[in-house]
Amino acid sequence: MTLLAIETSCDDTCAAVLDGGRILSNVISSQSVHDRYGGVVPEVASRHHVELAVPVIEAALTESGTDLDGIEAVAVTAGPGLIGALLVGLSTAKAIAAPRRLPLIPADHLHGHVAANFLEPDPLEPPFLCLIASGGHTMVAAVRDHSGFEVLGETLDDAAGEAIDKAARMLGLGYPGGPALERLAADGDPAAVEFPVAMSRDPGLDLSFSGLKTALVYRCRELGPEGVAERRADLAAGFQAAVVDQLVTKLRRALEREPWPAVALGGGVAANGPLRAAVRDLCDRLGVRLKLVPTALCTDNAAMIGAAARHSPVLAWPDYLGFDAFATGSRGKR
Amino acid sequence: MKTVGFDTATDDTVVAGLDGNRVVAEATIAPSDAGRPLHSQALLEAVGEAAAALGGWDQVDRIAVGLGPGTFTGIRIGVATAAGLSLSTGVPAVGVSTLAALGVSMALSSGRDGPVMPVLDARRGEVFAGLYNHAGRELEPPFVASPEALIARIEEITSRLPSPPPVGGPGAVRFADELDRAGIPIPGPGTALHRLSGRAVCELGAGAARSEPGKPLEPIYLRVPDAQLWLERDGREPGPD
Ligand SMILES: [Zn+2]
Repeated sequence: MTLLAIETSCDDTCAAVLDGGRILSNVISSQSVHDRYGGVVPEVASRHHVELAVPVIEAALTESGTDLDGIEAVAVTAGPGLIGALLVGLSTAKAIAAPRRLPLIPADHLHGHVAANFLEPDPLEPPFLCLIASGGHTMVAAVRDHSGFEVLGETLDDAAGEAIDKAARMLGLGYPGGPALERLAADGDPAAVEFPVAMSRDPGLDLSFSGLKTALVYRCRELGPEGVAERRADLAAGFQAAVVDQLVTKLRRALEREPWPAVALGGGVAANGPLRAAVRDLCDRLGVRLKLVPTALCTDNAAMIGAAARHSPVLAWPDYLGFDAFATGSRGKR
Repeated sequence: MKTVGFDTATDDTVVAGLDGNRVVAEATIAPSDAGRPLHSQALLEAVGEAAAALGGWDQVDRIAVGLGPGTFTGIRIGVATAAGLSLSTGVPAVGVSTLAALGVSMALSSGRDGPVMPVLDARRGEVFAGLYNHAGRELEPPFVASPEALIARIEEITSRLPSPPPVGGPGAVRFADELDRAGIPIPGPGTALHRLSGRAVCELGAGAARSEPGKPLEPIYLRVPDAQLWLERDGREPGPD
């Protein structure tokens, strides 16, 4: 089946065309406008989505070598995400599908991050364990079949990417902070400044990053502006190591609890080099296969939404005309 | 000319199908009992019915959509729907001002052909308003105002006109007491004068020049995002948290 997929849950306007599990096109328009605000502003994101949605969809169709006549169903992110942003993609998707009486497949954004691993080439078959870490979500998910996932543990406060962005800002780096923090950390000594490893005594799989952020505030206060300027690289390295440490600790604990044949990573933080290295190390030690999809499929994209849609309930015309988006919660199994 | 027109910038979901000057379909879906607009749930079905009443999408010549001003999310549901429909069907979509459409609705319901002043509820204790002729042509550019500023504006405009323009719409209903006290009569809330009609959206759309192909429909927000205001005012990024 040839699918048009649309994703607008946060600040990237995305459209893709898939033929089964094969990506024919995967267009992402990132909104750099948020850099000046130091974070994603929902109203600004929504304004850009409404401008960009149709041009991005047209680009995805053109790149795929097909047109709407070749599309058999429309997939779209229904949530979770920024409600105003989601509504732009959903309204567009419904309006494209309805006059052609095409089926609509609403997909769960987090299921999309999991399903990025189902894409060709070299699809990963369940069961596997998936660590999703981005600016919006952080969780360890058990993927037992294609149709959903079970949340084994998730952040109780900030998402990992959110914590990294805040740390980057405190250290005078721009937004988004991930790549800049990683570069700075490469010159630092992760053991030079002590950070607490949160949730390490908690036997569960939930995560927490707000304590780490507070610790950085205190370290900066102790060092003073000059000390911070001098020790920036060490602070970045120590902070990043503590984030990675917590993610890997929880992943290890999940692997110890139950045997899993494979581990996958998803979300923007999955592009972090030290995290990838640490997870690879863990998997090598435990003899578990590690699947790493390309960065473009880790960060938000529409191909992953198409991949999730292939394993989600299909709504026939006209059953979806009144379908609405959801901001919070998830349709994964919990 | 067969036109499907709709507007979701106010709390009502307004849809019509216009064939020449004959209305073949018209629907106004009020918000839920909790006051929540039903655009996302109700718009597309009503639009499909309007297209069907015109003989199906391949018979439709034009899609007309209200661009605002109004609620940001509502405007975007309408504009995204129009853009998606246009992409899917190949029917050109044109945007119309929601205030101008309300102005035409007021002229239709009052039977007057002098200037009218449509007023929309802009929330936060303010209104969107403008001055239009009976055909929806802009006589005074649309503006955002407090009720006091609106009253001053109406008094100033009235002094230049032979007779006071009718003032109506959801924003006028919202501040009816303030306007009444200032000697500006506002008919009761159920009056036709205050209702945005789908017919007016279609008429304006049918008469509008076709937007350049490939150019996205541009919402009329009249307000910048709050975050931009803060950034401009403080000249710096907000602190963490
Ligand atoms: Zn995501």
